[in-house]
Amino acid sequence: MKFRVYRYDPESGQKPHMQDYDIETFRGMMLRDALKAIKAQDETFAFRHSCGEGVCGSDGVNVNGTNKLACVTPIADLKEPVEVRPFPGRPVIRDLVVDMTQFYEQYKAIEPWLKRKEPTPEQEILQSPADRDKLDGLYECIMCGCCSTFCPSFWWNPEKFLGPQALLSAWRFLADSRDQAKDERLDFLEGPYKLFRCHSIMNCVEVCPKGLNPTKAIGHIKELMLKKAV
Amino acid sequence: MSRQASGFRAWVYQRITAVLLLLFFVYLLSTLSFAPPADFVAWVEWLSQPLVRIGLLIFVGALLLHSWVGVRDAIIDYVHPLGLRITALTLLALWLIGTGLWVLTILG
Ligand code: SF4
Ligand code: SF4
Ligand code: FES
Repeated sequence: MKFRVYRYDPESGQKPHMQDYDIETFRGMMLRDALKAIKAQDETFAFRHSCGEGVCGSDGVNVNGTNKLACVTPIADLKEPVEVRPFPGRPVIRDLVVDMTQFYEQYKAIEPWLKRKEPTPEQEILQSPADRDKLDGLYECIMCGCCSTFCPSFWWNPEKFLGPQALLSAWRFLADSRDQAKDERLDFLEGPYKLFRCHSIMNCVEVCPKGLNPTKAIGHIKELMLKKAV
Repeated sequence: MSRQASGFRAWVYQRITAVLLLLFFVYLLSTLSFAPPADFVAWVEWLSQPLVRIGLLIFVGALLLHSWVGVRDAIIDYVHPLGLRITALTLLALWLIGTGLWVLTILG
């Protein structure tokens, strides 16, 4: 099967280019296996991966124009030649390896931990099954970055717009019955950039390998702001 | 809790004006297609009804506000150098205000 892979080594002084590889496939082969086969042919090729089962979130790449998690992408579904590029809009460190610093900074900015005003109890803070259900579709995010690096608003303003991943996580804490910092969190999200750069383009929903829906979470945040305002 | 200014409020204005615009469009389309004013005199008469005037004023106000938020968003997205952005926003504001005043002189 034919692959065209983005190659760039800033230290070499050469410009980025696409390199062709031909690899032998097997039944059930995932894109990550293909990248490993390429690496076996050409050890100068660099990409990130680890768990191999869609859990660690480290092998997000751009394949034939959309962001995907390589280890859960069957190559049988891909059109040849398969074009593999690094995430769009991110600075390339080498080949498919990109600098995700801004993505993590945005996650950090939403303060992704439970905040309590009351003193923390000795035991666990209990939650009803119904309240627990509100976290479904939110807590599963593996921070692969497929969504944020496919969001046009994040391309234009990665330092100011939180991006779908951080916004989904912001809602994950706003929706949590145990969290007691709702007003603070909402105040933080105010202003033209952090949340309101989202124009509901829904690229994020399209690419999330976990089937999560950041656009919906963003809609919930806006609704909650509206509820608090009237 | 105050949740003012440029983010949330702009979004709310955008939504409300969108509904107003839609309502007025439906009204305009239906009157103009079922009972279009036949000549200039009929047009003037149609426009001199207080309800039509008020509706039209609200419509233009909503249209201008809607455009302000929408184009402002596009400028924030794409125009990054500060000087250029301020210039673009100022021109936009002046143009919208001018349009508003112009409509007021016609209807006034
Ligand atoms: S819906 Fe919002 S967050 Fe998702 S891709 Fe579009 S602009 Fe980005
Ligand atoms: S929301 Fe989905 S695409 Fe975005 S980082 Fe989380 S798992 Fe990845
Ligand atoms: S290698 Fe861990 S998610 Fe793909």
